[in-house]
Amino acid sequence: MPLNEPLFRMEGVSKSYGGVRALEDADLDVRAGRIHAILGENGAGKSTLIKIMAGVVAPDQGRMILDGREISFPSPAAANAAGIVCIFQELSLIPDLSVADNIVISNPPRRFGGIDRREQRRIAADALARAGASDIHPLALVKDLSLSRRQLVEIAKALARRPRVLILDEATSALTAADVSNIFVVLKRLRSEGLALLYISHRMHEIAELADDCSVFRNGRKVATYPAGSKTNAEVVELMIGREYKNVFPPKPPPVPADRPPVLECRKLSWSGRLHEISLTVRPGEIVGLGGLDGQGQRELMLALFGVLRGTTGEILIDGKPTSIASPSQAKSDAIGMALIPEDRKTEGLMLPMTVRDNLSFAALERISRHGVIDGAREQAMIEDMVRALAIRSAGVDIPVGALSGGNQQKVVIAKWLMNRPRIILLNDPTRGIDVGTKQELYVLFRRLTAEGAAILFYSTDYDELIGCCDRVLVLYDGAVKRELVGDEITEHALIASALDIDAAGPAAKAVHS
Amino acid sequence: MKELASPLRKFSLGGRLDPAVATAFACIVILLLIGSLYSRNFLSPEYLLQQLKVAAFLGVVASGMMLVILLGQIDLSVPWVLTVGAMMSSALAGYGGAGEVFAIPFGVACGLAIGLINGIGVAYMRIPSMIITLATNAVAQGLMVLYTGGFSPKDTASPAMRYLATGFAIPGVPNALVCWAVVGVAVVLLLTRTTFGRSIYAIGNRERAAYLSGINTRRVVMAVFAISGGLSAFGGVLLAGYASKAAQSMGDAYLLPAIAAVVLGGTSILGGRGSYLGTIAGVLLVTLLQSILSVMQMPEFGRQILYGAVIVLMLLLYGREKAIGR
Repeated sequence: MPLNEPLFRMEGVSKSYGGVRALEDADLDVRAGRIHAILGENGAGKSTLIKIMAGVVAPDQGRMILDGREISFPSPAAANAAGIVCIFQELSLIPDLSVADNIVISNPPRRFGGIDRREQRRIAADALARAGASDIHPLALVKDLSLSRRQLVEIAKALARRPRVLILDEATSALTAADVSNIFVVLKRLRSEGLALLYISHRMHEIAELADDCSVFRNGRKVATYPAGSKTNAEVVELMIGREYKNVFPPKPPPVPADRPPVLECRKLSWSGRLHEISLTVRPGEIVGLGGLDGQGQRELMLALFGVLRGTTGEILIDGKPTSIASPSQAKSDAIGMALIPEDRKTEGLMLPMTVRDNLSFAALERISRHGVIDGAREQAMIEDMVRALAIRSAGVDIPVGALSGGNQQKVVIAKWLMNRPRIILLNDPTRGIDVGTKQELYVLFRRLTAEGAAILFYSTDYDELIGCCDRVLVLYDGAVKRELVGDEITEHALIASALDIDAAGPAAKAVHS
Repeated sequence: MKELASPLRKFSLGGRLDPAVATAFACIVILLLIGSLYSRNFLSPEYLLQQLKVAAFLGVVASGMMLVILLGQIDLSVPWVLTVGAMMSSALAGYGGAGEVFAIPFGVACGLAIGLINGIGVAYMRIPSMIITLATNAVAQGLMVLYTGGFSPKDTASPAMRYLATGFAIPGVPNALVCWAVVGVAVVLLLTRTTFGRSIYAIGNRERAAYLSGINTRRVVMAVFAISGGLSAFGGVLLAGYASKAAQSMGDAYLLPAIAAVVLGGTSILGGRGSYLGTIAGVLLVTLLQSILSVMQMPEFGRQILYGAVIVLMLLLYGREKAIGR
C-alpha cells in the first residue's frame, strides 16, 4: 500500500447527543505504520470520535473509508472484524478467568462444539509474545496479575483480534513510568509491523516520545493536524483552548479576607490510592474551584468530604473543629450543613419516575416534618418558594421529574438541597449537559448563595466556568493538589498546563523536547 | 383542578388512579359476576362478608409484604414467621394467667425479631433478601419442628386471640376485618404522611440517590423487614385464633398469595411504585379467585398453577411498561 494513502479515513463525521453537538464535521486520516496522537480538552470530542471508529455509536453524518472502501459499523464486533480494535480506558478483563480465557473471550476457538483449550492457549501465548509479555503464563488468573501486567494482557487481547488500526484511549493512565516505557517499546514495534495506531493521552511527554502525527480537537471540531514536534507545548495549549470565550458570568466580588475562618477545611485527606494528602480550605462567601482533567480524584474528594467513602485518612474540620463525617445523613445535619450536588442527576440526584414535589423534599425531610410526620402545609410553602427562587419551569409539582428538561431537572437537584439551607455546597460538575441559558442562571445563583454566606466547592470539567466563577482554583492531578491558582492567576493557560502537569504556564514555555 | 387532585393523590398514593389498580378492581367485579352465574349465593351479603373475613388474614400479611416489595426487596420468610407467631402465642397462652395476657404481643414480637434479623442481613450485611429470608424461614421451621417434635402442638389459642379472629366488636363486622382495617390505615398513614414512608419510596426508586440525599437507607430497610416480620406473625396470631390452634405448615398457603396480591395491585416488583389501595384490590382479587376455584372444585394443584401463571403474567406486563418508560 502506498504510504501517502491513508489506511483509514473519516470525512465530515458528526454526532449529536440530544441537541448537544459532540462531534462536528470531523476529518481524520490514519496511516499504516504511524502513530497518530489525538489531543483535546475534556469534552472536545475525542471519546465520541473513538466510539464512532470502534462501532460503539453510529455517526449522524459523514463517511468512513477503510482501504479505499466506504464502510459502516453497526456494532463493535463489526469494527473488530474490519480490523479496528480499541483498548478503552477502563480495563475490560474478567479477574476470575485465566489470561487465555480473557484474550479469546469474544471469539474462542471451537472444536466439537466446545472450546478448544489447546488452540486457545496457543493463540494466547502468541498474542502475549506480540505484546512483549511472553513471561505471562496463559493459564495464570488475571486477578493474580499486577495492574501493569493486566494492561499488557489487555493489549495482547486486542492484538489477538488481528487489528490493522489499534486505538489506545488513555491506555497508560493507570501505569507507572517504568511500565509505560515497556509498553512504548511494544507500540513502536507494532508501528514498524505496519499497524496504524491512534493514541489518546493527556500526557504531553508521552505524545512527544511516541507520536508521528498529532490532531487537536476542540469543542467537537478538529482544529489542527500537524507532524509531531513541529509545535511547542505553548502552541498546542493555545490550539486546545481556542478563542471562544463568552462573558456569561456574573462579576466576582472582592476577595474574601484571608483572616476569615474557613467553614470547611481538610488536612492530608487520602483514600485508597486515589486521593493523596489533599489539604484545602473553603471560607464562607467563597467559590473554590476544582480543576484538572477528568478523573483525577475530584469526584472522590467530594464523596470523601460528604461521608460516602469508607477508609479515608486525614482530618476534616468544620468551623475549625475536627469532625468525622460517616454518612450523607450526618453531612447534611445542622451541625455540618453540607450538600452535595452529585455528578449524575439521573442516577444519583433524582428519582425520575417520582414527582417534582417528592424529589424536592427528599433532602429536607427533617425540616418539613415533626416527629417523622410530614407537615403538608410547610412542605408546600417551601416547595413553592424554591420553585419560584430557582425559576423551575414545570407544569406543576405533581408531574414526574423525568418529564422536565435537563436544565430544569438540574435545578430540581440543586433546589432539593437548598431546601435544607446548606452552609457548605459541593458542586460536582453541575452544568454538564444543560443549556447555556440555565447555566447562566446557575452561575448567578451560586454567587447569590455565597453572598448570603455559603461556601462552595465547585468541580467543573469546563475551564471557562472555573475561570468565570471561582475565586480560587485547586488543580488536581492523579489525586493530589498540583497547584492553587488565585484570582488573576486563573487563566486557561495556567489551568491546562497544570492539569497536564507540564510547565507551559507562561508565554516563555519550553519547546517539546524529543 | 389542583384542589381536586390533592385529596385523590392522598387516597390512591400515586397521583392519578393507577391503571393496574383499576384493572384489579375490574377483575374483582368480573370474578363476582362469573361466580354469580355459577351460584346465586355469590352476591349475597353473607358470602361477601365471609370473603372479606378470609381476606383479612391475607391482607395483614400482604401489608408487610407490600412495604418490603416497595423497597425492591422480597420477604420469603412469611410461611414460618407466620407459623412462629401462631405457635408462640398459643404456647404462651397455654401457661394461662399472665401468659394469656401477653400471648398476642409475644407472638408478634417473635415475628418482629425474625424480621429484624432479615433486615440486618439485608441492610447491613448486604445479603440479598431472597437468600436471607429463605434462610431465616428454614431456621424458623427447624425451631418450630424442634419445639413441637414434629406434631401439631396441643396448645390452643387464648380467648383474646379467638375473639380477635372470630368475634364481632361491631355488629355485623368481623373483628378480623377490623384488624386488617387498622393495619391498613396505619400503613397508608405511614406511606403518605411520614418521612419514613417517603424514604421507602425513595429507596425503592433508587437507593443510591436516596442515600446521597442523606436518607438513612439502612435503618429504613431494616425497619421495614422488621415490620414485615411482625405483620406476618400477627397474621399467624389471627389464624391461630380463627382455627383455635396453631398447626405445622399453616403459613405455606400465604407466601405466594401475599406476593400475588401486592403485585396484582400494581406495586412494582422492582420497588418504588405502588399504592395501598392496589394491595387491597389485590388481596380481594386473590381471595375471590381462591374461593371461586374451590367452589368450582378446582383441585389444589390447579390453583397453584393458576397463581404462578397469573404472577408471571403480571410481571411480564409491568416489566414491559418499565422498559418503555426508561
